[in-house]
Amino acid sequence: MTAPAPQEKDSTAMASEKEAGKAAGPRIGVFVCHCGSNIAGVVDCTKVREAAGQLPGVIVAKENKYTCSDLGQEEIIKAIKENGLERVVVASCSPRLHEPTFRKCIQQAGLNPYLLQMVNIREQCSWVHSLEKDKATEKAKDLVRMGVSKAAKLQPLEAREVPVEPASLVVGGGVAGIQAALDLAQMGFKVYLVESKPSIGGKMAQLDKTFPTGDCAICILAPKMVELSRNSNITLLSYSEVEEVKGYIGNYEVKVRRKARYVHEEKCVGCGLCADACPVKVDNEFDLGFGQRKAIYIPFPQAVPLKYAIDKENCLHFKTGKCLLCVKACTNEAVDHSLQDEILSIKVGTIIVATGYDTYTPKKNGVYRYWEYDNVITGLELERLVNASGPTGGHLIRPSDGQPPKRVAFVQCVGSRNKKIGNNYCSRVCCMYAIKNAQIIKEHAPETEITVYYNDIRAFGKGFEELYHRIREDYFVEFIRGRPAKLSQDPKTKSIKIRAEETLLNKITEREFDLVVLSVGLVPSEGSKKIGKILSLTTTADGFFAEAHPKLRPVDTAMDGIYLAGCAQGPKDIPDSVAQAKAAAASAAIPMSARKVTIEPLTASVNEELCQGCGLCTELCPYGAPELVQSEKGGWKARVTEALCHGCGTCAASCPQKAIVAMQFTDEQIYSELEAALPGQPKTHAKTHHGKKKAEAEVS
Amino acid sequence: MKDSGEVEKTFIGGLHEELREDKIIDEAQLDLDFPKEIRKYGGRDVMTCLQCGNCTGVCPISLKIDYKTRSIIKYCQFGLKKYTLGTRWVCATCYRCYEHCPADINPAEVMIALRHIAVREGIIPPFVRTAAMNLAKYGQSVKPDPEIDKIRKELGLPMIEAEDPEYARVVREIGVLLHATKYDKLIGIQEEVKL
Repeated sequence: MTAPAPQEKDSTAMASEKEAGKAAGPRIGVFVCHCGSNIAGVVDCTKVREAAGQLPGVIVAKENKYTCSDLGQEEIIKAIKENGLERVVVASCSPRLHEPTFRKCIQQAGLNPYLLQMVNIREQCSWVHSLEKDKATEKAKDLVRMGVSKAAKLQPLEAREVPVEPASLVVGGGVAGIQAALDLAQMGFKVYLVESKPSIGGKMAQLDKTFPTGDCAICILAPKMVELSRNSNITLLSYSEVEEVKGYIGNYEVKVRRKARYVHEEKCVGCGLCADACPVKVDNEFDLGFGQRKAIYIPFPQAVPLKYAIDKENCLHFKTGKCLLCVKACTNEAVDHSLQDEILSIKVGTIIVATGYDTYTPKKNGVYRYWEYDNVITGLELERLVNASGPTGGHLIRPSDGQPPKRVAFVQCVGSRNKKIGNNYCSRVCCMYAIKNAQIIKEHAPETEITVYYNDIRAFGKGFEELYHRIREDYFVEFIRGRPAKLSQDPKTKSIKIRAEETLLNKITEREFDLVVLSVGLVPSEGSKKIGKILSLTTTADGFFAEAHPKLRPVDTAMDGIYLAGCAQGPKDIPDSVAQAKAAAASAAIPMSARKVTIEPLTASVNEELCQGCGLCTELCPYGAPELVQSEKGGWKARVTEALCHGCGTCAASCPQKAIVAMQFTDEQIYSELEAALPGQPKTHAKTHHGKKKAEAEVS
Repeated sequence: MKDSGEVEKTFIGGLHEELREDKIIDEAQLDLDFPKEIRKYGGRDVMTCLQCGNCTGVCPISLKIDYKTRSIIKYCQFGLKKYTLGTRWVCATCYRCYEHCPADINPAEVMIALRHIAVREGIIPPFVRTAAMNLAKYGQSVKPDPEIDKIRKELGLPMIEAEDPEYARVVREIGVLLHATKYDKLIGIQEEVKL
């Protein structure tokens, strides 16, 4: 660091004259942060500090290069002790980042942590007004004046502690969910793993080999699945869905629908006699329609739990009332068509969401003609076609005539990096899975010609670039940089002609292929959308779940006690999913190990004398915190469950009786801010400006 | 390989003439503000182009002549105007490139923006000026022609009568518009415009 640290500029000159006139209000200290040049490069921090020093109640005004640093925090503590400060205003970055830091800091100096007011002069001044330095400085002064005015009205608050149930719910039984459940169980916590399909395993179970090392996916996954089913700390709820979640961190009450398998799980030994007897054959969704299964089935041989399930839509008995061949075939009396869905209630302290992804489905009438041409398939379909336990026993054939293809094309970025369909993001796995599948095809049939149509090859992971190199050096796979513009089918041979610009040649080429594989991207799964609604989780613009902080809290959500793992949070490959699952398990273990958690006191509270029990707040609250209860004197009154309340203030702003107060955002505090923002304006009065007040409260 | 000239040509791979000219694009030729200018004239941000070539592949013109939509967008990114000169008028603005562009750029409108810029810099191909003149004179970009009249007759369409006062009024109105928008001055057809 070459720039000299700014002097600790102290407004002591003013201090003495202030002492006299300001005994009435609380003693306030203002700390203006340079944030290196992040703020000071635009905002004139010295002017802001000088202006702050003139404000009523301000005893100390200082500026600092990095207020959040050890040195900066030391200075706040010192200033509090030396000047007997009662309120602290820090003008720096967003409270999202450092409010907890400074709360701890003033607590160390003996102040109640909630007597802190943050003023955001970085995101709201220097960053957005970087071209208008003077105006940014004026705005910073205004914001500091508002903050000081509000600080004078702050009240001390006390945080509360609630107990945490040492049990966790893991939603989704793919590799991420499996890993998170195993880790938590091994730490000694009770785990409920809910999976909507009859078997756990997720998408990884469908894959053939994994990049870049070429391990067989199911061979490395199956042992984990078995380990999970044998762990006594884990209750595996397969063929089940989360119906309802109530409560808050440490105390979630969950209702799980156990869909009827029509097979007693405890009696079924997985022998398969029932399936042998079943006369109904349908497409197996696990093989994406290429293979078949019976109406009583396990999705794949390594299924966990190895318990059969009846597909009610296709079962002859449910259609005609007859058949029952499976019942006769079962030697253990496990098949029972009279079973019903069950609702299971469980109590958990934390929830891990690992609901994974779906592959992008190419559009009908789209350029790639996926729905019209048999020989245009997706990457996941290819995985089943080259999989040794797949419908073809691992022999790649083209769907139109069952012949092995001589020329195969891969088309990259289908459903990814495309603004037209709204998927702007890179799906991160398609480059590598296409390269990996090209290798598999070449190993099976070395004479196959393979061409990859790509935009950019993103071989960013460990061992990825080496595989990309190997595929060209050893397997002579051809790479064409260009996005196919037109696919057309030869009506006789069913071969596909691709027209594309080979951008590096600056020429338009037309090539014919026997099989075209679309490297489809990853999109949020249907299951994610469902659970997202139930848990009120937020998503980023791409539709995947939003983490609490993209760098520093990558597995947490905005909801305390709910964590993310795997592709539900964004596209990622298997190692990244496993790593995130382990991180989510470790994060969930923090409150469960402590057995208690601190709840922020920034909640809404109801003045029961004013409340008329209209129930508007119960309808508007996004977290279900207020509820109507019968009061002792008769009549209904709203009551807020503090642990559920996030302090958003929706109820307080909407209450027609003004019976609800949002802590640290009380009417008095907001009005004091507004009055500071608009000096010289006549005083606004809450009671005469209902509509206006509401609007202003929302703005603030 | 007997005389020395033969030897020299062989030595440089027969590229004797070409080697005299420097093929390096000098930094001075670049105009990195050009994308902003294109945006000013209605072309969307060319900087987001992924260079995937989808636009070229779907372009009906690209199939017939040496015109690569993608390349033109690339030249625009660097502000290499001279490479876009000869090609910008061939675009038929069918918008297929826009329909397929994954980056949501509208190459057809970039071409239109390029035409705007070219005209303002005085680079106007003769056929454009002719069409503008026709517009000023006859109210349509195609000059009236006995051949066309014949076809109109065959198709049962009404004849265009130059003496028709309604027709003359329309031509005058077009002239007023061309003048008011300073289009006549821009193209250099002030004399043709009747007010």
